[in-house]
Amino acid sequence: MARSSVVAGADERSVAERLAGQHVLVTGVTGFVGEALLHLMLTEVPGVRTSVVVRPKGSTTGEMRIAKLLEKPVFADVVAAAGGVPELMAARVGVVEGDLADVPPLPTDLDAVVHCAGDVSFDPPVDEGFTSNVVGVRDLLARIDEASAASGTDIHYVHISTAYVAGRRRGSIPEAPVDHEVDLEAELAWGLSQRQSVEHRSRSVDVLERERRKAERAHGRAGLLTAARATEVARRQWVKDELVRIGTERARSLGWTDCYTFTKAMGERIVERWSAAGHRASIVRPSIIESALERPHAGWIEGFKMAEPLILAYGRGELPEFPASADTIVDIVPVDHVVSAIVAVLAHPPAPAEPAFFHVSSGDRNPLTFNVLYTSVRTYFERHPFTATDRGNVRLPEWRFPGARSVERLLSTSEKAWKAADYVVGHAPRSDRARDMARRLHQQGRRLEFLRRYLDLYMEYATAELRFSDRRTLALYESLSDADRSTFAFDTAVVDWEHYFLDVHCPSVTEPVRKLDELRALRRKSAKTGLRKVGDKRDGVAAFFDMDGTLLSSNVIETFLWVRLRELDRLGRLGELGRMATRVPSLVQAERRSRSDFLRGVYRDYAGARLADLDEVADEHLTSHILSRLSPDAVRRIREHRRAGHRTVLITGAIRPLTRPLIPLFDHIEAAELEVDERGICTGHLATSPLVGESRGAWMKSYAAEHGIDMAASFAYADSLSDLPLLEAVGNPVAVRPDVPLYRHARRSHWDVADWASPSGSTRALDPAARR
Amino acid sequence: MSRPGFVLEVDDRTPPMIVHEGLGFRLESFPLGTRVVYPPESLPAVPDVDAAIDHALRNPEESEPLPALLRAGMRLTIAFDDLSLPLPTMKAPDIRGRIIEAVLTMAAEAGVDDVKLVAANALHRRMTAAELKHIVGERVFRSFYPQGDLYNFDAEDQDNLLHLGTTEHGEDIEIDKRAATSDLLVYVNVNLVAMDGGHKSVGIGLASYKSIKHHHNAKTMVHSRSFMDHKKSAMHHSAWRMGRIIKDTVKVFQIETTLNNDIFPKSLAFLQKREWEWSVRDQASMLAVKRGLAMAPQKARHKLFHDVRSVYGLTGVRAGEVEAVHTKTLEKVHAQHSVEVDGQSDVLVMGVPYVGPYNVNSSMNPILATCMGLGYYFNSYRGQPVVRKGGAVILYHPLDEGFNQLHHPSYVDFYEEVLAESTDPAVVGEKYEQQFAEDPWYRHLYRTSHAYHGVHPFYMWYWAAHAMDHVGDVIWVGGDRKAAARLGFRAATTLQDALEMASSTVGPSPSITYLHNPPHLLADVR
Repeated sequence: MARSSVVAGADERSVAERLAGQHVLVTGVTGFVGEALLHLMLTEVPGVRTSVVVRPKGSTTGEMRIAKLLEKPVFADVVAAAGGVPELMAARVGVVEGDLADVPPLPTDLDAVVHCAGDVSFDPPVDEGFTSNVVGVRDLLARIDEASAASGTDIHYVHISTAYVAGRRRGSIPEAPVDHEVDLEAELAWGLSQRQSVEHRSRSVDVLERERRKAERAHGRAGLLTAARATEVARRQWVKDELVRIGTERARSLGWTDCYTFTKAMGERIVERWSAAGHRASIVRPSIIESALERPHAGWIEGFKMAEPLILAYGRGELPEFPASADTIVDIVPVDHVVSAIVAVLAHPPAPAEPAFFHVSSGDRNPLTFNVLYTSVRTYFERHPFTATDRGNVRLPEWRFPGARSVERLLSTSEKAWKAADYVVGHAPRSDRARDMARRLHQQGRRLEFLRRYLDLYMEYATAELRFSDRRTLALYESLSDADRSTFAFDTAVVDWEHYFLDVHCPSVTEPVRKLDELRALRRKSAKTGLRKVGDKRDGVAAFFDMDGTLLSSNVIETFLWVRLRELDRLGRLGELGRMATRVPSLVQAERRSRSDFLRGVYRDYAGARLADLDEVADEHLTSHILSRLSPDAVRRIREHRRAGHRTVLITGAIRPLTRPLIPLFDHIEAAELEVDERGICTGHLATSPLVGESRGAWMKSYAAEHGIDMAASFAYADSLSDLPLLEAVGNPVAVRPDVPLYRHARRSHWDVADWASPSGSTRALDPAARR
Repeated sequence: MSRPGFVLEVDDRTPPMIVHEGLGFRLESFPLGTRVVYPPESLPAVPDVDAAIDHALRNPEESEPLPALLRAGMRLTIAFDDLSLPLPTMKAPDIRGRIIEAVLTMAAEAGVDDVKLVAANALHRRMTAAELKHIVGERVFRSFYPQGDLYNFDAEDQDNLLHLGTTEHGEDIEIDKRAATSDLLVYVNVNLVAMDGGHKSVGIGLASYKSIKHHHNAKTMVHSRSFMDHKKSAMHHSAWRMGRIIKDTVKVFQIETTLNNDIFPKSLAFLQKREWEWSVRDQASMLAVKRGLAMAPQKARHKLFHDVRSVYGLTGVRAGEVEAVHTKTLEKVHAQHSVEVDGQSDVLVMGVPYVGPYNVNSSMNPILATCMGLGYYFNSYRGQPVVRKGGAVILYHPLDEGFNQLHHPSYVDFYEEVLAESTDPAVVGEKYEQQFAEDPWYRHLYRTSHAYHGVHPFYMWYWAAHAMDHVGDVIWVGGDRKAAARLGFRAATTLQDALEMASSTVGPSPSITYLHNPPHLLADVR
């Protein structure tokens, strides 16, 4: 088949005619651009056969993924015309299973390859960036060489890059190779080796010790294993963050904004070298790709791209300012322009060894300034605010574009304030107010995190004074026939930005959010009762309850232990209160450190008491004390569980005599046993370790095994972070009036949070049983 | 001679009136023409209490003198009213303790040594040792309590109950076995109001749920008009039927005492007086108390009021056969409480005070407040209700004291689960009463802790059944809106608002009657 050379020329054939009978391989069709490209080729270039490279996902094969893709509404017409998905696939969409990390052999009858796949996140870990954006390209080109060699055809390779490979350059950017002298092989080798080296470093004493200290401070009371788990999670996160940080730093040190544009530029260099060996290669560089202007339909978009999170955040009133200046150009192109350009490029292969560059961008001829963008988005939200909030329409922030530096200052001040508040709340004594503040802080923290992430990422783009020249792309466009120009429209000068944002883009991206908001509002109405139901009557379910702080206001038992029992003459301990008082500080410290140490310290003073006396004392004085401080909601819940046929189990570090008032509520009470000698006199030691922290989780597992209990269907109720093992052991954990750290954990894990108020008047008086 | 009760008609010279509202009171200016019903002033007290007791025991009504009923080797049981009487608690020594001492002295003289003292608390909570001690006195307590001869009645102790048969209406009679099998059962009453005593003492005070459920239900209570008038009270009719059968099995020696209206101590003396007769000193102490209450936290206000111990003068003590004694008792009670009221009105206003029979040393939860207002105070009438059928009741109480988890555990659940579903006494009784009555956890708490029986909140609701059936509208002034709504009522901030709200029921210018209670009164509506 004859091929014309670049752009100009006397060849009057249409795009479809030029491509008729060709076999085109496309990668990345499950992505936004790939899907749009596949759609365009199937609908407008009937003579083309496509093959797609798809990675199988778990048990879903590549075929199944493509079948699923073709079932989407946008493909409905093509599918109907072909007579069904299988028919369409048999006729026009071949599937090659494979992955960029390990490119499979390609069909040998290919005429062209369009490479849309790639890592699109701006801050990938450095090794992943290199793998997908450089190694992937290199391997794909090698496979193309194989296929070429097999068939003897000269395959046209179309590489989809990004306009931002220009990096931190300024001013007009030509449609030409990026000018740089980076040693590609050295960088590649370095980038790929980073994971191993960071993994090594993450296991160094310094890192591990720091993370473990932090984890033990937070989880020490729950147990060392819980802390160890948290340490490992933190280490993995550290590895990820470090890889991202390294990538960004290296990119910036070489003049790129981030690892994404850096590795993309390296990818282009690979393509240039390949082309230099006498191959035909085109490189298409779109700028920021957003929703379709017209095709498949106005506003079509898959997933969230670059600007959407910001637009949505603005609509919610959560984006107070932006680090751009009002006249900075933001370079956006609709996706249908991008894929039309790709098809046109595909139809016009360049000469061998002369790689052709095309910018698909708008900034040069139809610039969109931040001010226009801001005004349009603002107008849109003024006309169509998010309404499903429970506080009326949100107040839209007014941007004054104070400049990047002052936005940064604002953000970092907010972050500092937040951190301080977070520390204070995290260490505040538990109370409704602290919990409420923790809830609001949590929300604010998420917002700040979001702002930080996006501002860091976009700061570079928002302040980039780049103008991408698209002269070559325009020339290609103008060379097309009138019919092709309307079918494959990619002259970005036609976009009316105000119309685009007001009527096309914003309605499209806000629609799913509005639906979600409505759903949420409905759920909010129905979920007034809070706790999930205990469920129908069934066997094999247990409900585990922590005692102090959950059933009773916390410290009830402790105060009783400390004060009341020492006042009893029969224990012969009167007059020791003074000695006791001197021990208070050390006991308080023990309490902080480990609950079992604390309890042991307290129980030491029972040496010499008769166990039977203790029982009697408990019955006589403790019962009323406890029962009047028992949370009615807790009791109701326990009884509900019993009615449902569940086993109710109380787990406490307190000694058994102190649980006597609660015996009728529970099937089993797991409490600490005081060691007694043969005369029934306490030795001051415990017969078993008090059941706190992790030992609770372990005990629950063995209890469940013994009684045939389905832990996934069971419930657990506790009040502090040290009870994490108890809560995590079951499928339905409930945080009851949690301390702030547990509250945060519960929110993150979507656990139920119960607000079981202790009865009024049960203050933590130091003379618990004195008034009667 | 003390002045009788009377009905004041508010005119433009009438000062604002005291209205009780829980742990406090307010001064309310009632619309012109409002009738304010004042109880009679306190009757003179018996000068020598011990002599009066001795006289009553030796000269009983339609019975042999007590010494003649006592003999060596007999089983003697002395039952007595629990802490729900009198209200407020009597300043020591309690009249019951003095009578019990006198009875015990006679028993000792006769050589009786098998004596048990049992608090007739029916389904009320067990009293603490301190509370028992307060009633029987230190000496009796010391001699009987440690050996277990002074104890609270346990209506769930199946081994110690005895079924005495059924009445002609098929009502079970099941009472304390020790009392039922004693050779003599002495019952010591405090007849604070007209509903107390008579056959209600043994037949209810020492009875189990099985027996009590026959008269403590919505149907009976709607037909008790009122339960302050035993001849027109279906509940009392039932108790009387039971009492007559009990009388055939057990020899009951009934002792009833009546008290005068001296309920407030000196510091709160102004609450006892008519507002326009306040001295400068009364005015000053009223202002001081009012200011103090406004500033004090709830705990302090609770303490201030619940620490009140009343001096009460004894107006009479009678002993002997139940019905003969009770007839005389009622004469005295009526003399102290009865006020003639001429005809019904459209609106009845009542202030619910801080204490009722079931929150002594405890808190007045919304259910108890309802019982106090729509149960006890509404029913404080003879003849016909003070408010006309379909009229409105306006009550004062903040409904904000919450629940005492030790004393009222089943109340919390009744409030959260039962009232959330229905507030109709008949409906809730039908659907939930048995479940609460037989709940093992409530039973456990009733028997071992200090909790009212599981079924008790239902009884509180039944007490109010007659009022709910009779009136068209109930509005709580100053009441917590959420609590009022849960109870099935409405709340208003001021009396004016409440009257405005009631105007759809009773019109724009209704006739209003305010019962100036406490001190206790009984409206004799002609």
